[in-house]
Amino acid sequence: MFANYIKDLNIKKLKDIFIMKRREFLKFGTAGVASSMLGSLGLLTWVPRAHAITINKTYYITDGFVAQVDGQDVYFRGFSNSSGALNVPAEPIIAQQGDTLNITVVNTLGTTHSFVIDGVVDSGNIAGGASKTLSFTVNNAGSYLFYDKLNAPYNRLSGLHGGFAVMPSGSSNELYDGSATFVQQYFWVTNDVDPVWHDAIRVGDTPTTPFTPRYFTINGRNMRVPGHPEYTNVDRDSGYATDTRLVGSVGDRTLIRIQNVGLCRHSVHFHANHVEWLAVNGAPRSQVWKKDTLNLPNNKGSLDVIYPFESPPDAWPPVNTGHFPMHFHDEMTQTAGGGFYQFGLATTIEFK
Amino acid sequence: MFKLKELVQMRNRGGSTTSSGGGMGGGGGGMGGGCYTYPDAPATIGRVTPDVSFNRGIYMNGSMQMDDGNSVRVWGFTDGGGGMGGMGGQFPSPAIRVTEGQIVHTNLTVNGMMWLHTIHHHGIEPSTENDGVGHYSFDVDGTYTYQWKAAHAGTYFYHCHTNTVLHAEMGMYGALIIDPPEGAGTLFAGGPSYDVEAIWACDEFDSSWHNLNWDAGTCGEDVGLNTLNPDYFIITGVDGAQSAATNPAVAVTMSQQQTLLVRYINAGYLAQRIDFGGLDVEIHMSDGRALPQPETVTEIQSVSAERYDCIIKPNSSGVYTITIEYLDWVTDEVIGTAQTRITVT
Repeated sequence: MFANYIKDLNIKKLKDIFIMKRREFLKFGTAGVASSMLGSLGLLTWVPRAHAITINKTYYITDGFVAQVDGQDVYFRGFSNSSGALNVPAEPIIAQQGDTLNITVVNTLGTTHSFVIDGVVDSGNIAGGASKTLSFTVNNAGSYLFYDKLNAPYNRLSGLHGGFAVMPSGSSNELYDGSATFVQQYFWVTNDVDPVWHDAIRVGDTPTTPFTPRYFTINGRNMRVPGHPEYTNVDRDSGYATDTRLVGSVGDRTLIRIQNVGLCRHSVHFHANHVEWLAVNGAPRSQVWKKDTLNLPNNKGSLDVIYPFESPPDAWPPVNTGHFPMHFHDEMTQTAGGGFYQFGLATTIEFK
Repeated sequence: MFKLKELVQMRNRGGSTTSSGGGMGGGGGGMGGGCYTYPDAPATIGRVTPDVSFNRGIYMNGSMQMDDGNSVRVWGFTDGGGGMGGMGGQFPSPAIRVTEGQIVHTNLTVNGMMWLHTIHHHGIEPSTENDGVGHYSFDVDGTYTYQWKAAHAGTYFYHCHTNTVLHAEMGMYGALIIDPPEGAGTLFAGGPSYDVEAIWACDEFDSSWHNLNWDAGTCGEDVGLNTLNPDYFIITGVDGAQSAATNPAVAVTMSQQQTLLVRYINAGYLAQRIDFGGLDVEIHMSDGRALPQPETVTEIQSVSAERYDCIIKPNSSGVYTITIEYLDWVTDEVIGTAQTRITVT
């Protein structure tokens, strides 16, 4: 009886929050990606320092709905930049070896959550309505994921995740000491979204149906194409969103830190250039292979690759400009809601 | 460029300018219909006389006979232009084989009965207009000449990139091989030589997808293309249940003194694990690029569209069973297998 009362109360409270958050999310959809960690073009910027510093950051655990291209509203939770926003994925953090991080997590929801970087930090339980500040030092360069590991994998899948990078000390252009070098870097966080599961998470149930993803996202968005009203909308179109679209001139070697929070293993296919495959699941590879298609492991699997922005080698006459896709090649991922080919997990590579 | 494409796309949808995310009506079928397609056939920019050219048309009424007695509808590219849809064609589509350094023309003809298709030469990296991705350039309506230069020897494949999720599943792909200047028999300049060659394009079919129209789902209707439940497992167009074990198009017979090159292409959507039956395999290339150092393995795990070039030098005679396991994309559990053989005399 009491449990039912609490549940009813929570549902009412959550319902109110959903309505508010949905309105605010839609209203403030663009604000979520702006921050001091992101450059004006949206890609990760970094200036090396001679000394370690302390980085302070606050995330607010919030929730709300995100409308999909077929009109379906899907429930998400996120580590957001304010209590009135919903950021899925969270704004990434980039630090340097030796830095101290003070991460404050404010849980605005009624459910218990956590903030975890495997091998680095684990907040333990952060109860509904509570806050916790985590202080830790980062020592190993590379790409990481922060996420909520409670109620695994559901809280992570629901949107509580973000990218975390540690640069080598004093370096602006390496993944790890001695790695191949780059001039710009991106985080791509990918997810597979089953709206039935997300709805079960919303009401506090454990999903019981087979996992059937219907939407496939890169940094929380998916693709739009010419003729669609959201085409070129940087808040909706992953082909134009500044944190996913690769933009460079010939020679602008670009590090991409790919983190797969979803449940599905995927095939990552780059057009126009082969990439240099530096690391998988955080481990540097002993040999750097050049690949046009790569195996992206599931369940927090990761790849670190460099897109070299070389002149497309098979063009005749030679070209230095153009627009090309990066898309997953397990082509089910290129759909939305069971159809809508071209509205799936992809982005654009622009040779400018 | 996009303004033109948008006009074409709107025309294709009956002049509607009110396209929206959902509920635009059914995709319909047949030769018309379709949403977010970009029919065109412009002149090839900077067209030159090629060193080698290939003509490809379309068939959409092919069928593949399975070991269980069922036949499954397949689509593909014909060798030669046109393609009236009444003649069927081979599956996989005929290979494109060229020599490193050549300028290549792939002439694709798509007539109004066979809308709409492209050719993407997977792993080949040409200009935007010649990359064959509909929404970045155009879907071919008429005849278009893809012009590209074969820069790197290796194993590739070509496939349709219009409503790709369906069209590639329907079988619209073929091998694409670039030989080094030394010619066939050498994998790449300075690389290993071989006496016997096999091309294993390993694919899976979900036969429930194989009765859909070319434009299924493109207008947003739910046709289930997010879920692949394969019931057939195929090696280079041959059913891997039984036939591929002995079909000479797939199975290999070689002497102990010979060197075998297996050009392995993951032509499906699921991850695969290929077990070479105890044979040692030297991987020399992947995705058309030589590895810094060859790696010796006994099995390979791949994902969709990866290629691995494998040199095999058997130490002893015998019959080696090669097993391709197809893995569930969530659990990695084996949901199907295909088998062939290498017989060493």
